[in-house]
Amino acid sequence: MQNQFKSADGLVEVNISKQGDSWLYEGQSCQILNDGRLQVTTADGSVHLARAAKVGDVWWIHISGHTFKLERIEPGANASEEQGGLTAPMPGKVLEVMVSVGQEVSAGATLMILEAMKMEHKIVAATDGTVTAINFNAGDQVEQGVTLLDLEE
Amino acid sequence: MANKLTKVLVANRGEIACRILRACSEAGIASVAIYASNDAKSLFVELADEAVQLSGDTIAQTYLDQQQILRIAAATGSDAIHPGFGFLSERADFAQAVGDAGIQWVGPSPAAITQMGDKMTARITMRNAGVPVIPGEEIEEVEEEAALIAIEEASHRVGYPLLLKASSGGGGKGMRAVHDPSELISSAQGARREAIAAFGDGRVYIERLLTGSKHVEIQILADRHGRTIHLGERECSVQRRHQKVFEEAPCATMTVQIRAAMGSAAVAAAQAVDYEGAGTVEFLLAPNGEFFFLEMNTRIQVEHPVTELVTGVDLVREQLRIAAGEPMSCGDLMIRGHSIEVRLYAEDAANNFLPAIGKLAVFTPPEGPGVRLDTGVREGDEVTPNYDPMLAKLIVWAPSRPEALQRMRRALDEFVVLGTTTNIRFLRELCDQSEVINGTTDTTTIDRLWPNGWSPNVSQSIQSAALLVASCAEVNGLQRRTSSNSNQVISDGPVSPFHTLNRRFP
Repeated sequence: MQNQFKSADGLVEVNISKQGDSWLYEGQSCQILNDGRLQVTTADGSVHLARAAKVGDVWWIHISGHTFKLERIEPGANASEEQGGLTAPMPGKVLEVMVSVGQEVSAGATLMILEAMKMEHKIVAATDGTVTAINFNAGDQVEQGVTLLDLEE
Repeated sequence: MANKLTKVLVANRGEIACRILRACSEAGIASVAIYASNDAKSLFVELADEAVQLSGDTIAQTYLDQQQILRIAAATGSDAIHPGFGFLSERADFAQAVGDAGIQWVGPSPAAITQMGDKMTARITMRNAGVPVIPGEEIEEVEEEAALIAIEEASHRVGYPLLLKASSGGGGKGMRAVHDPSELISSAQGARREAIAAFGDGRVYIERLLTGSKHVEIQILADRHGRTIHLGERECSVQRRHQKVFEEAPCATMTVQIRAAMGSAAVAAAQAVDYEGAGTVEFLLAPNGEFFFLEMNTRIQVEHPVTELVTGVDLVREQLRIAAGEPMSCGDLMIRGHSIEVRLYAEDAANNFLPAIGKLAVFTPPEGPGVRLDTGVREGDEVTPNYDPMLAKLIVWAPSRPEALQRMRRALDEFVVLGTTTNIRFLRELCDQSEVINGTTDTTTIDRLWPNGWSPNVSQSIQSAALLVASCAEVNGLQRRTSSNSNQVISDGPVSPFHTLNRRFP
């Protein structure tokens, strides 16, 4: 069975197969326990208990003290990787726009300042580039995930 | 002098409201919660004997609306108001209005709040009382341009690196560290803007940034019977964005001599303003044992539980006793064992500690010996951007520091929160850092350990296991299991007969 997930590191294809009560992947096996938890035996034989919960399209997995957020991509859906756009990490208010369209910026430059949860957050250029669009002005309210400005490498 | 409390209104929300409401219940005092409409289903509303909804939408129209809160206090027959921390807890005008309405304020007098609440006045008061303060200058100019000029001039006398702090500040708001003169003006503008937005007062002062220092604070209690005592120290050096994340008592490098000197300075600070109730005097402790007054918090603090666990004193219960005019109940104090607290934030530690939101689809806290959870949330709750992202505090106690740290590791490994990103893994990895293990943390520890930001240290094998679990859960439709009761199996697998029986216990 094939599944596709999107994590912080990008898209991953996972092919699991069934053997008796167990599901197998990369030398590891997984069984579902009666209480809804999952038990993984890794390649070296160590056993880990995991919990899973789905919120929207995202599977939240807790295993061995780590928590993973894996968005399931529906088969056939066109999973678009993040473009050069800089998105609002939180709903909030634009406090200040530090750049103008056409301006060249270097990686690490502060482009915009947002206020969310009473704290200021800097929107920082991940790479060197040229600002090609600014979509909001100081004072504007923004929703989570909207593209604040575009940067072309 | 005694004025027995019969009903306390808690003018706060979340975790600290729960803490106070529970203390009221244990003290046999009736309690009233007030809540904004978006808090109607919150845990603290449930814990109160009575709950009254505030009208209004914004924080200013609800938890900060003094007149509305006073009207509810009168209507419910409350004879005391406990402000918790944040919100109105350090507002002298509110403490005054509460007293004028014939209601007991659980905290110090308006005069003491004013003297300590304005950080510049506090510096001056402490200097006059003989308590050492950090070298620096107060900037009295209010108007932006004049203030920036005065800050620029003062910066040459104070020297770099320096710290800009809002006079009305707190919780890291309106604070900026400046390492280079070229950053001064933009930092000053940012600090003033944040301070005006948060406190309506843009005045800032400048302090020399003392690198390599520990943040150590002394808990004090003062009653109306002439007794002012200190309950030892807490160390809260580990901070991100000037907000504490990891706190402990006692401080690992404390000596009997420094504790005695710092304790006396804290008691002197409290007595200088005729303090009443619970309060905290914060100091910076330099590596050479010198210490400097930072500020006094005229309220209960977030990290108060670590002091409770090592002294055995219930600080919130003592606040209620003192407010009722009774003498504090604690006798001679002894510090026993070691306690550590971590703050559970809904935030993405791997992305510059950005606040996170979402549904707490699973919230399973750790259990077992020596573990205490002070929470404001429970499974099924929604974390929204409306309030502070602190969800809960996890506190452990053990006979020694290494055992307490090991207990904290165990507790964090057991803690499962799904549906909202939290800092649990960050806190867990913090426990393995040598500075934390050796107790040599200072206020720059996090920035120094992770100069380019933190990211989780996770093995390839665990990553594959997570992908296998997600695939397995997807293929088997595990999302159909209810999130509020994970023991209940709706589909697949055998159904336990015990789930279908109505059991009665004699």
